[in-house]
Amino acid sequence: MKTGKTVAMLLAGGQGSRLKALTRKVAKPAVPFGGKYRIIDFAVSNCANSNIRDLGILTQYKPLLLNEHLGIGAAWDYDKNKGGLRVLSPFTGEEGGRWFTGTANAIFENIDFLDEVNPEYVLILSGDHIYKMNYDHMLDYHREKGADCTIAVIEVEWEDASRFGILNTDENDQVVEFDEKPAEPKNNLASMGIYMFTWKELREALYKDEKNPDSDNDFGKNVLPMMLDDGKKMFAYRFSGYWKDVGTVRSYWESNMDLLDPNNTLQIYDDHWRIYTKSKNLPPQYLAEGSTVRHSMVNEGCVISGTVENSILFSSVIVEEGAVVKNSIILSDCVIKSGAKLNRAITLEGLVVDGTTEIGQDEDDDCVYLMHEDGVTKE
Amino acid sequence: MENIIGLITYGRGDFGVLAAHRPAYMLPFGCRYRLIDFALSTFSNNDIDNVALYAGSMLRSTIDHIGNGKPWDLNRRFGGLSIFPEVYSSKYNRSDELVNIYESLGFYESAVEEQIFFMDPMTITKIDVREVYRQHLTEDADMTLIYKTVDDKEGRYLNYDKMTLNDDGTVKNIGVNLGTQDVFNLYLGMGFIKKSVFLDLIKNALENDDSYSLKGAMLKEKGRYKIRTFGYNGRVAVIRDVNSYVDANMSLLDRDGFNEMFHVNGTILTKSKDEPSTIYHKNARVEHSLLANGCIIDGTITGSIIFRGVEIGKNAIIKNSIIMEGAIIEDDAVIINCVIDKGTIVKEGVSLVGSPTNPYTIGKKQVIKR
Repeated sequence: MKTGKTVAMLLAGGQGSRLKALTRKVAKPAVPFGGKYRIIDFAVSNCANSNIRDLGILTQYKPLLLNEHLGIGAAWDYDKNKGGLRVLSPFTGEEGGRWFTGTANAIFENIDFLDEVNPEYVLILSGDHIYKMNYDHMLDYHREKGADCTIAVIEVEWEDASRFGILNTDENDQVVEFDEKPAEPKNNLASMGIYMFTWKELREALYKDEKNPDSDNDFGKNVLPMMLDDGKKMFAYRFSGYWKDVGTVRSYWESNMDLLDPNNTLQIYDDHWRIYTKSKNLPPQYLAEGSTVRHSMVNEGCVISGTVENSILFSSVIVEEGAVVKNSIILSDCVIKSGAKLNRAITLEGLVVDGTTEIGQDEDDDCVYLMHEDGVTKE
Repeated sequence: MENIIGLITYGRGDFGVLAAHRPAYMLPFGCRYRLIDFALSTFSNNDIDNVALYAGSMLRSTIDHIGNGKPWDLNRRFGGLSIFPEVYSSKYNRSDELVNIYESLGFYESAVEEQIFFMDPMTITKIDVREVYRQHLTEDADMTLIYKTVDDKEGRYLNYDKMTLNDDGTVKNIGVNLGTQDVFNLYLGMGFIKKSVFLDLIKNALENDDSYSLKGAMLKEKGRYKIRTFGYNGRVAVIRDVNSYVDANMSLLDRDGFNEMFHVNGTILTKSKDEPSTIYHKNARVEHSLLANGCIIDGTITGSIIFRGVEIGKNAIIKNSIIMEGAIIEDDAVIINCVIDKGTIVKEGVSLVGSPTNPYTIGKKQVIKR
């Protein structure tokens, strides 16, 4: 980043309960994605690639794996002397301990951290979206507009607009109204949950919001509308790349499958904006004699002797001879035994799929099957 | 294993264009590694974390790849990795392994460790160092040199180091294998040496001006020291030329070879490149091959080793070949028995065919047109 210090605060405490068994043991940002990543890697890599030196990651729900994954941030070059990555968890004070009650409260509770870094701008991010974005450009826009708050938005289809938080704007893209999941949308600019604040303004707003006993201490619901009512200058920043909120098991499956499309706009193979993750340093993938691998993504450490089509295999997956995996997402360390037939399946890490297993073999149904240690959930 | 210094000796060999821009030990290997990764990982897997590397010249790729040794946990505040570039000094009028070791003798003198485990970076193996160390200590040897008994009817090891043993298992001598016997003991260029003995040997050799390498210095005064041997039975490749380089890579296509190299006695560590997974498009037909991450595959591949970030175009055919990092093989090209170095582009429809006994090698960053 240029002059004007920016701190990014990444909200990574959410459970993501609609992802069901995928988040049974980990927070949503730690859910594996795209063959080798975890969802949070996209936001953290965006920060690193945007040259944001200070990054606070707010954790709450089942943080064990997330903490291990992030470590001291070495994978993203955040193991710095000056600045770097800090994991911020709920803590106790003189009046006892408190959980973060909402997105804005999570930031409020960590005001000491922000005061110490003393930034000019604070970027609020959510750790559960798949996208590549240069936050530096957003900061340029924020300063150019002289905004107090800038909200990244994406144009959605008009018929989908009622599922999103919609921003109604004037001809200069200045926000005039927030419309949460409107039945009759007046605009199709959906908030991406990415907010750039001038820190002085945000600090004031957080204190004000915290004093309001009726507030849920949520950015989208409380803080942003309050700031607008107070006459703060708020702008929409239009983003036009790939962006996906992996909310449900179905959308998880779909957004993974998006990666197999050669024209996918996420451009995961573009090394100018690489997505980084903790490296496992595994051996290369082994495709044995008689294997068929087509229209699929395969990660290191896999050994494939069977058939894999239109699927995503994470690291160290074994597909035995005679096993058939189609339209599926196989997480790390799974073994698909000889004879097993999987279609539209998602298998959780380390699962051993028995040779007699047949999943999704009915041509007519288009359900997604989430396979975990306790059985199979149909979506 | 905290009492051991790791020493990586000079790697030698004749690799033509493949070693035109890099030291021999930096040759890419096994889809995502460099030869040196095996020595560094062996140290790392055995908690040997005070390591000296005699890096030679042409260090760009060495520095880029190894840096401060972080992938091998050798970025230590105490000990860690020391890289010694080649020394040129008019004092000696030569710059061989011995002179370079002598110039770095302070490293050994100031180290607290009392033993040295040295490795030839061109020897690819997953030897259990602890087993050799136990024997070295039990026998209270000054040196323990490691060999493997090989049956070499095909003459693959001509001009390699041949070790002759005395009846009591001590070293008689190490010379050149001229192929007079099919079965012989191949010296693997690795072993243990007591640090005090090592310091004496190096100084004596320089004062007497009678040897130019660590091996030479060790054998010069074999009467004075107790030189024991250790016969290794596991898989090993000693890489000295293009053929042995290709053979060693191709041996990974054997499941047992693959498992032994990558899953026995610790994993092999290397610099991570953060490539996405490899994607296989609709026309991909891949069998009996090893691939790294970051590849985009739309052609046919058999019996080949494909490095990171390689692109294989539609209907291209790759057979029994090694394609190194970032190479692009365009649509309809045919590559058989070739070694294609990093970043080389083979244009649409070009055919390159080597012979199984004499692979066709193409250097770095070439553009091969019709």
